[in-house]
Amino acid sequence: MSDANALLEFEDVHQSYGEEKVLRGIDFEMERGDVEVVIGPSGSGKSTMLRCVNRLTEIDSGTIYLDGDPVTTPETDVNALRRRVGMVFQDFNLFAHRTALGNVTLGLREVLGHSKEEARAEAMSQLERVGLANQADSYPAELSGGQKQRVGIARALAMDPELMLFDEPTSALDPELIGEVLRVMRDLADDGMTMLCVTHEMGFAQEAASTISFLDEGSVVERGPPEQLFEAPEHERTGEFLERLTSLHGGQHG
Amino acid sequence: MSAETADEPGGSATTRGTVGVELSRRPLFYAVLGPFWAWLVVRWVYDWVVVPGTNVTSRETFFPTQPFVSAGEVLRETAAPPPLAGLLDWFAGGLDFIAFGIEALPQLAAGAWVTIVLTVVSILAGLVLAVPLSVARVYGNRVTRYPALAATELIRGTPLLAQLFVLYFGLGLTQYVRVIPGVGVGVLPDTAVMVALIGFTINSAAYQSEYIRSALLSVDSGQLTAGRAIGLSKVEAIRHVVLPQGLRFAIPGWSNELVYLIKYSSLASFITVRELFFRAEAIGNDTYLYVQIYTVAALFYIALVVSASAFMSYVEDRVAIPGLGTKGRR
Repeated sequence: MSDANALLEFEDVHQSYGEEKVLRGIDFEMERGDVEVVIGPSGSGKSTMLRCVNRLTEIDSGTIYLDGDPVTTPETDVNALRRRVGMVFQDFNLFAHRTALGNVTLGLREVLGHSKEEARAEAMSQLERVGLANQADSYPAELSGGQKQRVGIARALAMDPELMLFDEPTSALDPELIGEVLRVMRDLADDGMTMLCVTHEMGFAQEAASTISFLDEGSVVERGPPEQLFEAPEHERTGEFLERLTSLHGGQHG
Repeated sequence: MSAETADEPGGSATTRGTVGVELSRRPLFYAVLGPFWAWLVVRWVYDWVVVPGTNVTSRETFFPTQPFVSAGEVLRETAAPPPLAGLLDWFAGGLDFIAFGIEALPQLAAGAWVTIVLTVVSILAGLVLAVPLSVARVYGNRVTRYPALAATELIRGTPLLAQLFVLYFGLGLTQYVRVIPGVGVGVLPDTAVMVALIGFTINSAAYQSEYIRSALLSVDSGQLTAGRAIGLSKVEAIRHVVLPQGLRFAIPGWSNELVYLIKYSSLASFITVRELFFRAEAIGNDTYLYVQIYTVAALFYIALVVSASAFMSYVEDRVAIPGLGTKGRR
């Protein structure tokens, strides 16, 4: 059943929205400290796969294990699960009524039950980590897209997660703002954070990923280390997709 | 490439107004409302503290009526050629109206107190009920959604006056309210006012829940998702993420409800609540000067409504957040 070393494991995971089958039997596992990059054409189920991990989307069948614990059972405490898994969204989804600092402290105060001072200190150190301590009192509307996304990352990191999910974190950004977000992500990877990233930033994938998965029509077509996928893909579809992607999103931000 | 291009980093988007700014912008507005409220408050304090227990009708006016009456007489007795005489007569009528108004002021001030209590208490109590009602509608399951929908539609679908009659005459709430300690003591509302408060609160809750419901729906769904993703329960996420934004969006609609409530509170006169309209009508019945007394009462209502709008606009400014709602927009 579950591999003792795997931090995250998918076991024959199926998911559908009504008639539309999105995931058709996903099997994969990643270990602590791994950086997994998921690529694939739009509609291939990448985001759904991510959202199944913290149960923002419920699966139809199969099992997902986090550090050996099945997390897709009815008995799973969903809120406790989400404390262990941080998520960064494509549209940032910063709490619009709270400052950058307030975005980070909310979880610390209400979920982890920190005191006001503890939460503030912890949040400031997370904002410092993403280089935004000087914007602590700015509201989301006063931040640039890149700054918003870095606050989003700080907000997730503050919960001290075991795993971070990145759902196309740079897709809504202007090209010149992508670099600052990728830099933060690369620092995180260097610090040993386990990361599952849906992204088409091939520069990041080549440098930071331990493994790349190519997802198409709800199943993992090919999976392997970056060199293997970029240089000698086993499947024709993988090669074609990567070629198109590299010409669009080459490593210019890296 | 994205919507973010419009957002300059770190730009200060503070739109928070202050009373000072408002004052200098609308001097005439405050020159009228300031003295009105000052007089009203002094009047209440005088009636309750300085001469408590005096029958309202025998309370002295603060302003003398005699100068206006005599000035009117002088104008009428002045011999003048026909067109001018008509004009003088008209002025004399105006002075009589002022004298009459001054005599009515103590009564109307007492009525305005009840009107304000009815409005303020029922909009606040209504809000307390409206928030769970609207949350049940938007985020609830079948079990919470349909009862909330039914209650809202029942109340919005029947006349307010009929609701007051049901509470007051039909259910006879007075017999239960009467035994509550403190009812009718001093400036505290009496039995009929309490029944009216219950009616207005329920009615306002239904309307407010609709305003809040549509405000909640305008909060981006990603906000709730993000709240849940950090481990907040659904209720916590609604409380800490959705409601603070939705309630800000609801302020314009809420101001509207407040203004309506000030005027609808006059329906309480039908269940013997001696609020502003009731007092005006009583004076009209005594003097037969209906047009005059209703004109004075109308001025009171306008002053209350304009004050309420100004206050809500101030509140909206105070709670404005850059990028959020109508006042936070840049």
